[in-house]
Amino acid sequence: MKLTLIALSLTVAAVSSGCTSLGVEPWQRELLARKDMQPGGSRLDDAIDDHMYFSKEASSGGRSFGGGGCGCN
Amino acid sequence: MRFIRLSVLLLVCVAAGSAAAREPDPVELSSLRGKVVYLDFWASWCVPCRQSFPWMNELQKRYADRGLTIIAVNLDHERADAEKFLRKLSPGFQIRFDPDGDWARHFGVQGMPTSVLLDRSGRSRFTHIGFRAADAAQYEQQIQQLLVEH
Amino acid sequence: MQLEPTIGNLRSKLIAASCALLGGAPVARAETHDVVDTINRALTDWQLDAALAYYHENGRIQAVEPVINAEHDLADGGQLDFDFTFDALSGSSPNGALTSRQVQTFASPSAKSFAQARHMYTVSSGNLPVDPNYSDARVAGGASWTLPLSRLTRARLGGKFSYEDDFYSATVSVGLERDLNDKNTTVSFSVNSENDFLQPIGGAPTPLSDYTQFEKGGHETKHGVGVLAGVTQVMSRNWITLANVSVDRFSGYLNDPYKIVSVIDAVGSPFGYVYENRPDSRTRRSVYWENRVGWSQGSVTADARYMTDSWGIHSETAQVHLRWWLPGRDQYLEPSARWYRQNAADFFRPWLADTAAVPSDVSSDFRLAAFDALTYGLKYGCKLTDHLGRFGRELSEFNIRLEYYEQSLRGNPAGPPASSGLDLYPKLQAFLLQIGFSY
Repeated sequence: MKLTLIALSLTVAAVSSGCTSLGVEPWQRELLARKDMQPGGSRLDDAIDDHMYFSKEASSGGRSFGGGGCGCN
Repeated sequence: MRFIRLSVLLLVCVAAGSAAAREPDPVELSSLRGKVVYLDFWASWCVPCRQSFPWMNELQKRYADRGLTIIAVNLDHERADAEKFLRKLSPGFQIRFDPDGDWARHFGVQGMPTSVLLDRSGRSRFTHIGFRAADAAQYEQQIQQLLVEH
Repeated sequence: MQLEPTIGNLRSKLIAASCALLGGAPVARAETHDVVDTINRALTDWQLDAALAYYHENGRIQAVEPVINAEHDLADGGQLDFDFTFDALSGSSPNGALTSRQVQTFASPSAKSFAQARHMYTVSSGNLPVDPNYSDARVAGGASWTLPLSRLTRARLGGKFSYEDDFYSATVSVGLERDLNDKNTTVSFSVNSENDFLQPIGGAPTPLSDYTQFEKGGHETKHGVGVLAGVTQVMSRNWITLANVSVDRFSGYLNDPYKIVSVIDAVGSPFGYVYENRPDSRTRRSVYWENRVGWSQGSVTADARYMTDSWGIHSETAQVHLRWWLPGRDQYLEPSARWYRQNAADFFRPWLADTAAVPSDVSSDFRLAAFDALTYGLKYGCKLTDHLGRFGRELSEFNIRLEYYEQSLRGNPAGPPASSGLDLYPKLQAFLLQIGFSY
């Protein structure tokens, strides 16, 4: 019980002081802005591959792209 | 022993949290009192940021003698990346480097680019997130409005 | 405050200087300068990607496919996307019949009876029955408009079409995207509707009818609706992850009008052939997960997909791409690998026995069989930014890609006695060679 209380208060303190948050600040996206790091960054290759697999296999699609990248505007 | 380790960890987190909200050097901004300051937060990897540079060049030329100062605050992690673009874009206004994002955090930058308009008494009056060609005219109107004020 | 020289000033000074050195006419140089500038300015909001792919299967189909994609940024922050593909296929396509020691004769789809010699083809002993005159040309295109509804919300409207002489398809889609947590999270949802019109060469055959009776009708249609929900999450400066869930349902004419199923006797000799038949509807569900991790010298992308459908097929796909920038960051190599496995559709049969009743749904199409597939690829890219003079743009790139694909059928019944020693389930091997250009 005591351990749980300590763990809980630590988490609350940590979160409120900005120690744990998923993601980055808007100006820290230099790597994410690179084309090879963007979901959908290799559209043409994916389209050609998808066409090849669609004509040879029973599965297709399932992919879609949104988000990521530089987050600009 | 475990409790001491845990509380040290807590102290570190709190310290890190408060250190992030450090004030930028007040001398730099206060020396610009009396001028209308257009602070633009940009980075080399941000395409709309670079697209706004020619427009900012025009603004600086047009309103410099009426008291407009444009400062482009660069947030690149690697200074070399910023300098590569500065050589190509040849801006006609001041550049300031803020790789740790201290100024960005102080002015609450939520997106790239962000522009903050400070009036002649140093107060932040307008903040814009993002740059779109369609909005440029409205930004210019706001600058003119602040230039008229004393 | 010092006024820095603008690009325009510097350029004209350089041109004047070089002209003076070469003794050339400054007027002509200034004109070229304007043309380059005009072109560059006109293309500022455009991103162009083009590729030419050549696909070749061992002893079967080959295809040439040029593709072009253009993206245009709009003044309000929106985007227009256009793409266009042309496909020319030729070669030999399996007709679904089983390999046999006996010589088999088949009629092309355009034949009306076995009397028309020029529409017949013969398959020699021990070979996979393929129609050697397969040829098809396809034109496809699409456009989509991303329109910002607010700084954090976007709507996406899209349409695409595909046209070949026996098949037309049109699809419309609508989607919505919303950013959260300072754009670290993005959720998206989209719906699409597809309508296909089939006009098989020779007419759509009566399903399960005797192949030798040439019972053929006219045209057919099918219709599909799909929904997709996705979330993208930035995990750290180096890592982004994305997951999608999608469901789609197709109904109508889902058969391959050119595929037949061999009916064989007790010994294993071909007794006859019937046209295949597939169920009138197909519902598919899939889950997709992608991760990208990057660092200054490169990145790795790993993704996986799991799919199940109402035909009893389920599949697993896993892919990995490694982007490796060569020192100098002007060139890169990108090796990749893909592993795929699917099991057979409930109604897949490599052949039918003449003594058994013909099931209501049956197909011998290997695309519905159980198999494992492997792809190995290598891509090389080279930035052209500094090699195109004043036309050089940041994303200008030349690239070349080679992929090897092989498909191995598995879990199929051993053939009848007459076929012992024959390879009834040949391996498919193919390669893809592609050159691309980005501007």
